[in-house]
Amino acid sequence: MMHVSSRALVKFLGSCLGLGLLVFALAFWWLTMPDQLKTGELSYAEPDPINGEQMFHAGSCAACHEADLRGGHELDTEFGVFRVPNISSDPESGIGNWSTEDFLNAMLRGVSPDGQHYYPSFPYTSYVRMQVQDVADLKAYMDSLPPVQNRVAAHELGFPWNVRRGIGLWKLRYLNAEPVVQLAEDAGADLQRGRYLVEGPGHCGECHTERDSFGGLRLQAWLAGAPNPDGEGKIPDITPTAREIGEWSAKDIAYYLETGFTPDFDTVGGSMVAVQENLARLSPEDRGAIAAYLKAIPASAAAE
Amino acid sequence: MSSLNKCVLVLAIACLAPLVIAADDPAEERHERMEKVGDAAGPVGGMLKGELEFDAAVALASFVTMQQQVDGIGALFPEGSYVAGEDRATQAVWTNRADFDQKMSDFSAALDAAVAANPQDLEALKPVAQNVFKNCKACHEDYRSPGD
Repeated sequence: MMHVSSRALVKFLGSCLGLGLLVFALAFWWLTMPDQLKTGELSYAEPDPINGEQMFHAGSCAACHEADLRGGHELDTEFGVFRVPNISSDPESGIGNWSTEDFLNAMLRGVSPDGQHYYPSFPYTSYVRMQVQDVADLKAYMDSLPPVQNRVAAHELGFPWNVRRGIGLWKLRYLNAEPVVQLAEDAGADLQRGRYLVEGPGHCGECHTERDSFGGLRLQAWLAGAPNPDGEGKIPDITPTAREIGEWSAKDIAYYLETGFTPDFDTVGGSMVAVQENLARLSPEDRGAIAAYLKAIPASAAAE
Repeated sequence: MSSLNKCVLVLAIACLAPLVIAADDPAEERHERMEKVGDAAGPVGGMLKGELEFDAAVALASFVTMQQQVDGIGALFPEGSYVAGEDRATQAVWTNRADFDQKMSDFSAALDAAVAANPQDLEALKPVAQNVFKNCKACHEDYRSPGD
């Protein structure tokens, strides 16, 4: 039997441990690398700010980022305090000096112009499903809005959530451009459009779907309601099996989105007020498409 | 009744009155009143939506009911009557009281105007009703928690 001194054994194990840590660190580094779109990787036609404005309302950007996009709203969560940034066209404190590629990377990949991960408090998990052209159009519209000088402080998060690089792992698990609801192959254009608006720019699931302990959406409970991120009450279930809203017809839903009135003439409330008022600015066809999609969510997805 | 007896009676009432008020549940009562306001809004909303035939008497009766229910409702939101997890009135009612009171008084003023206007056709009803209904949403945005 070969003689191995205890000293050599310690040295050997130490090397193994060191090597293991190195492999782990490299794997972490590689897995969490921000995935940026390259310039010219995605093509789009001359941006159309008119369509961009529709996307802006569909996404209710102003509901979180303030009416003039100055930002500053605080989201007090179990992970820490997130501060909503200034996305006005101010070049210093806003995003006025961003290129369209910068904006596409932020919206579709959750990556900042300097190559860092954004926290998913910015709902790119929904925007990842948007079409490149719509995002480029949105940028063109936002560029046309006035700049507002307002420096917003950084988020305040505790360990390990303050390690931005770690979001790369989170993205591997939760960032997915696939549609949530599989529609029948013969689904009409309005259903497809409704799915796009709800799952993509509208990011309805970000509030109406509950989250797991890592803050990822539990897609098996898609749109089936969740605790209110603002604290009090509950964000309602909006699936066809919902106790109250499930009884509404597609026409009732579209009317609610247009006017803020429920079928029994109660009114919209809470943070949905701002969202409804933005959706009121979409075309009747788009509101009808959203309603058609909400009526078509499979019961199984909500009931599981 | 002797003046002494009157004094005793007044004192007794003064002492008992707070107990009587305290015995009622303000959260319960304001909720019931709001339900009645909502029920009264139904016919007017139905007329605006085109689901119900316009009826001037029904519209006026709705506004009068809402006016009666809203009158003095601020007193049903006394300090310390927040009910966590049960009541839909948010804490902001009490942390932002001046604004809440202002919104309630705007609502009352719109109802007074609606009753005074007493609209006689659908075209006249529309602006009057919208002036009333916008107050529902304005208050529900900050002072009523979502869903249940």
